[in-house]
Amino acid sequence: MSIIEIKNLTFTYPGASEPTLKNASAVIEKGDFLAIVGNNGCGKSTLCKTLNGLIPHFIVGDMDGDVIIDGLNTKEQEIGTLARKVGYVYQDFENQIVCPTVLEDASYACLNYAMPDYEEKGKKALHVCGLSSKIGDYVWQLSGGQKHLLALAGTAALSPDILILDEPIAQLDPAHADGIYEVLKELNEKYGKTIIVIEHHTDYIVKYCKDVMLLKDGGVQWVLPAKEAMRRTDELQGCNIFPPQVAIAAERMIDAGLLPKEPFLQKEEELPVDVAEGVRVFTPYLKNKGPAYKQPLKRELKREPIVDFKNVTVKYRAVKGEPPKIFDDFSIQIGKGEKIALIGSNGAGKSTMLKMMMGLIRPESGQVLLNDRPTADLPKEELGRTISMVYQNPEEMFIKDSIRKDIEYAMMVRKVEDYQKRTDELLEMFRLTDLQDRDGRLLSGGQMRRASLAIGIALQPEILLLDEPTANLDIATRREIMKTLQMLKGITDTVVIATHDMQLVCDWAERLIVLSAGYVIADGTKEEIFADMYVRQQVGIRPPQICDMGRALGIENPCFTIDEFMEYFRGEKYA
Amino acid sequence: MRKLSENILDKFSMDFLRNQVLKNAYGNDDTVIAKMDPRILLVWYLFFGLVPWFLNDVVLLLGIFLFVALTTRAAKVAPLVLFLFCIGVFSQTGYLFIVALFFGGNTETIAPLLVMTLKVAAVSLASITVFSGLDPDRLANGLLWFGCPGQLSFSISFAYRILPVLMEEFQNILLSYRLRGNPPHRNGLIGKIRYLCYQVKMIIQSFYPLMLNTAKRSRTTVEALELRGYRYSIQNPEVKKMKLSMLKVTQADIIFVCISAAWVCVCVGLSVVL
Repeated sequence: MSIIEIKNLTFTYPGASEPTLKNASAVIEKGDFLAIVGNNGCGKSTLCKTLNGLIPHFIVGDMDGDVIIDGLNTKEQEIGTLARKVGYVYQDFENQIVCPTVLEDASYACLNYAMPDYEEKGKKALHVCGLSSKIGDYVWQLSGGQKHLLALAGTAALSPDILILDEPIAQLDPAHADGIYEVLKELNEKYGKTIIVIEHHTDYIVKYCKDVMLLKDGGVQWVLPAKEAMRRTDELQGCNIFPPQVAIAAERMIDAGLLPKEPFLQKEEELPVDVAEGVRVFTPYLKNKGPAYKQPLKRELKREPIVDFKNVTVKYRAVKGEPPKIFDDFSIQIGKGEKIALIGSNGAGKSTMLKMMMGLIRPESGQVLLNDRPTADLPKEELGRTISMVYQNPEEMFIKDSIRKDIEYAMMVRKVEDYQKRTDELLEMFRLTDLQDRDGRLLSGGQMRRASLAIGIALQPEILLLDEPTANLDIATRREIMKTLQMLKGITDTVVIATHDMQLVCDWAERLIVLSAGYVIADGTKEEIFADMYVRQQVGIRPPQICDMGRALGIENPCFTIDEFMEYFRGEKYA
Repeated sequence: MRKLSENILDKFSMDFLRNQVLKNAYGNDDTVIAKMDPRILLVWYLFFGLVPWFLNDVVLLLGIFLFVALTTRAAKVAPLVLFLFCIGVFSQTGYLFIVALFFGGNTETIAPLLVMTLKVAAVSLASITVFSGLDPDRLANGLLWFGCPGQLSFSISFAYRILPVLMEEFQNILLSYRLRGNPPHRNGLIGKIRYLCYQVKMIIQSFYPLMLNTAKRSRTTVEALELRGYRYSIQNPEVKKMKLSMLKVTQADIIFVCISAAWVCVCVGLSVVL
């Protein structure tokens, strides 16, 4: 039975010259777990907003066509009626939470719709979302992942038949991401809800979703079962979506003649999309499991330290009771020219560590030395010349009304010679020349990231700190960020990135520092870290799929890229 | 000396202010005052916030002042608020009091000033007890019961939800300015003044991006409020009833009112006797 019917839907935002949705039609079955994919700006969020009646009732624009929810046309219904059928969790979920305490927020909607058992409903939703222990807490006490669960609970409390989530795991570590998806799975299977997610993590799509809808240029390209959809690697990549690594590996191996063409000609049938399928497909062709053709790089251990944490203890100001310790007697050195990935779950102290390097957080005891001088004593303006930080939230970097002014500001006030020429170069380098007069806040997510990076490196700092630079980005933008990082060579040699993005880590980082609850629990190359199962379990980090694939096949050394993986299928087979 | 100035500077960081706001709103939710019924406290405030203006008896005022000082202590108000209170009272009348003492004022000149200072102090402390001792939601519910519009009570509780977020964002924007800016040198008196002007200018300029970011952020909030039925709740009297059903007058409230009344009676008695 279909629960959502979209018929020839066209929608144009007021003032826009082009419609965002063009003649989109689709039918979604009751009890489905659907992933909507498509590149940035293809109308995914807009489509979802037509389902809960925000379009056309709240966001006025030009709408043609019909959306039928459970037999009711959204045009003829009130938002309130629709909201009880269709729940929506925003991408910027923080702004969706309006009450100060957890239970209040979870039961807020139920109270507003005058349900007498509103508190019970809120409690039940919190229980399903795994927040039972947080019922009495204040919202600002929650971690990012918990806030997201709360936003979900607040929506689920109304027990709508349909739940829509816009990029639910973009800023979460794998453990929290699994948590969200497990909750969704339970809601889907046990409570029979129809779940719709906008998602571009294909490994999660394969694992949890039943169907996939591809949106392209405002139209629905197709709706297919998840695995079949993931096999259409060309179309996905055309829309800037990473197909599962296993599928790409298989495809490239066919091209390279490492797998026979014959059974794979009908790609839709045979291309593996997850590790289990991969084992079946790859095993007969594996040539050797022996040591890799290359020795894992040994990190240069003797480097001149540029940042030195010396027995640092940091406490946060507590609202009540004892101030919690973030770091206790924490020591680590960051050498000149290192490329460091800082990993660990949400709330492990990654951002705090970055902020300490900027002298933003003063340690209770101990010192942070930057080029042998304590950061606490350096004036901020001087620090800004040596070290630069790009915030997780790029909006906070925009202090002027156009990105050109933002990029040149630091150079202008420091009277850098030829600053305008350098600004032109930076704009060119980040492909922002056409956008230079726009306000940074009004750009798309990817453009905002690029602009914030350009601002960050304008002064050519020795050290660059990036906080979650790839969250919310599609592959095209991610590749660009990677390219930018390569371009920095020579000027900015030392880069520290706090991230959950393991593909970024594997492709780029030379040293990994794993934080857990304020302690460094591992520090080394990716080979060392990903081989250590204890560490992996402890912080819930997860290597890219190809790495697990290699392990499942029994390859001794971990492979981090598809190229490395393919090496094991070349040459002669030996016993 | 250096340590001291660092310590003072530290006190005025955004982080500190943010912490104080949170502390003030939520850090004291287990005190006697916070657990009271907001309606009783509002009525209580009506007395202690108004009556002192009409009294001129030093003994009686002193008694009331002592009492509200005790309730303020019981409410565990954040130090920043108390600090502001002291500044406020001093700048209103306190300095006149001290100046009068210095320039040989006798009891005749000092007495009226003392009365005035006590009035201002007593009323301010009563306000602090109620508005900062109660947690914002309970205060909002109390106001709602007395017929304030739902929008007002929602604004109070939402302001406390959003304030810490805004302050953190402001801190980050300010930091962007500081890291990228290039302030004048602070050598000599003129340099120091120029530096101060620069800092003030920077703070003012930081508001502009903050406003824009807030506008952007509120788009989601407005949509979410609509989806979560905020508009319906305002139209529906049933919702108000449900919200207020959790307000209950307990024994503690009655005891508190009795103590207040007894205290005032004793003070009146004392003022008559003396």
